[in-house]
Amino acid sequence: MTATTIVGQDAAAPPRGGGRIKYHRWIFHIAAALVAILFLAPIFWVVAAGFRLPSEALQPLPPWPTEGFSFDSYVRLENYGQSILHYTMNSAIVSVGTALLTIGVAVPAGYSFSRYHFPLKGLVFVLILSTIMIPFQSILTPLFLLLAKMGLQNTLLGLILIYTTLQLPFSVFMMRNAFDAVPKEIEEAARIDGVKGIRMLVQVMGRLVLPGIVTVGLFAFLNAWNEFLAALVLLTDQDKFTLPVLMTAVRYGRYGSVDWGAVQAGVTIMMIPCLILFLILQRSYIRGLTAGAVK
Amino acid sequence: MNRIGDNATVTAGLSLKRVHKSFGSIEVLKDINLNIKGGEFVVFVGPSGCGKSTLLRLIAGLEEVTAGEIIISGRDVTDTDPSRRGIAMVFQSYALYPHMSVAENMGFSLKVARRPKDELRRKVEKAAGTLRLTDYLDRRPGQLSGGQRQRVAIGRAIVRDPDVFLFDEPLSNLDAELRVEMRIEIARLHRELGNTMVYVTHDQTEAMTLADKIVVLRAGRIEQVGTREELYDDPDNIFVAGFIGSPKMNFFSARLDGGEIEIGGHRLPGPAVKTLSKGEITLGVRPEHLRLAEKGEPFFPFRVKFAEFLGGATYLYGDVGDGALCTIASDRKTQAKAGTELRVMADPKFMTAFDDKGVRVR
Ligand SMILES: Nc1ncnc2c1ncn2[C@@H]1O[C@H](COP(=O)(O)OP(=O)(O)O)[C@@H](O)[C@H]1O
Ligand SMILES: [Mg+2]
Repeated sequence: MTATTIVGQDAAAPPRGGGRIKYHRWIFHIAAALVAILFLAPIFWVVAAGFRLPSEALQPLPPWPTEGFSFDSYVRLENYGQSILHYTMNSAIVSVGTALLTIGVAVPAGYSFSRYHFPLKGLVFVLILSTIMIPFQSILTPLFLLLAKMGLQNTLLGLILIYTTLQLPFSVFMMRNAFDAVPKEIEEAARIDGVKGIRMLVQVMGRLVLPGIVTVGLFAFLNAWNEFLAALVLLTDQDKFTLPVLMTAVRYGRYGSVDWGAVQAGVTIMMIPCLILFLILQRSYIRGLTAGAVK
Repeated sequence: MNRIGDNATVTAGLSLKRVHKSFGSIEVLKDINLNIKGGEFVVFVGPSGCGKSTLLRLIAGLEEVTAGEIIISGRDVTDTDPSRRGIAMVFQSYALYPHMSVAENMGFSLKVARRPKDELRRKVEKAAGTLRLTDYLDRRPGQLSGGQRQRVAIGRAIVRDPDVFLFDEPLSNLDAELRVEMRIEIARLHRELGNTMVYVTHDQTEAMTLADKIVVLRAGRIEQVGTREELYDDPDNIFVAGFIGSPKMNFFSARLDGGEIEIGGHRLPGPAVKTLSKGEITLGVRPEHLRLAEKGEPFFPFRVKFAEFLGGATYLYGDVGDGALCTIASDRKTQAKAGTELRVMADPKFMTAFDDKGVRVR
């Protein structure tokens, strides 16, 4: 190659390439910022609306403080029925209970579907999955009657059972995939090393499918934490309310107006545990969703 | 009385008696009988899918036999748990525990058996020393190269201090250079430890270099058991003859007639066969036993298709009169252009004859 061609290429290439990259980067940043604003704006409104003065709190708009800053909405929320801590505990019991029960059932179920052969295994698995397609609102009445027969209406345990049932198809599917991604040889090596039974699940397999377990648990927790309809139908006793039901209850301010301030304050409080959990677990959680895809 | 009468099992490191294995209706292993002496290095070799891994897994106890007995160190272990058979296994995929460090991986079996901590540490350190892994004890398997991972897997086996080591194609995930290195390492381990080792491979070179005893399997049956020399020089059938040795043995259809054979219309002195004096046979001759015929000697023609110069030797590829493919391993001086016709022959003592079912006729 001659010197002139090299010089020619050098002179032409860099500015053009550099310019294009810069241009792309700008578009990327603007688009990303727009998307971020789109997602963050409602959250900002909710948080801001909780700090309005009582005089503004009954107006839907604007959803941010204009005349001053106040915790009054939080005080009104706290004074409704039992303390907010009590309702948060209700929600926490239901959500943690749902997450634990879901994990407790989905892990052994996923393990069995992944490792054992039994008659009609394929059919049973498809059947379990197909229940995802049934809108749960359509079975709410029978579910309610069933729980009433068992004496579980108006109890948190009944709610946990409903949520776990709804959560299981997805969770069993997730756990089966997680176990499928673990090579059979690792389990066989452990068998030769003398590991048996429940110890295999806890010491060897459990550790390898931990991202899957975290994902399943997190989904169960978040879904139970935010679920509204079943809780509304099942819980009639104000003491048993979970946070989403509480939100509808505090809505009704005096004289039939809507207390936007208290609702937004409650929603703000509801978001906090979800955020914390998600931030703590996000690494395992993301690995869980992509497990098997990159192995 | 049993112990005295049953001499073979007492001395054998491992015996298989009439072992069958079926998966559903498919019979994968048929009537396997084998005696392996304590301290022997035995290689199971055969084409892919012939049942080598299944046989090894039966010995390990990872699969149950359909029928038959497995005896390790004089003890019937047919129904014994894998962890109590006195075996350790090294898998093709290493099968290390990804969430444990190298030291934890190697010591896991002792931890499960609740052995004292100092015994565990001592054994792990000793094994790590033997395998040059001392500097890597705190790493996770994910931070090691393929060769190091395989050494950890072997270390895990050593720490168990088994009567029998089982290897299932342990080198096939490694690149060629590393494979040779690890092969030498495994041979050294066998010399140092002196345990019985059973090694599965589809690579006949590995079998030839490592084994005291080679077991050739095909389609779930043992075709022949013997030392490498026995299998190479005196194969029982055409499959073993073709499988062992590289480049492969040449096969020609020939007619046996008295002491002579006829290949493509050329008569030459034939192999000494006592059981058959006349008839169609398949004649086997190894590439290194074919040579150029001297003037006046009987011969058959060989047309060169191409020649491979390998430094120490030259391989000539071509065909003989009736179109059968043929390879000749010659010394480096031999040069032949494609298309040349050579006159070749072989010493009758290097010829092996097989009948129409592929069974050796002697
Ligand atoms: N768990 C199993 N179920 C059904 N068939 C199997 C199973 N394991 C192995 N086989 C069959 O047994 C035969 C031998 O397999 P294998 O022992 O893995 O062969 P090799 O190790 O010699 O390549 C193959 O045809 C394989 O399909
Ligand atoms: Mg195999």
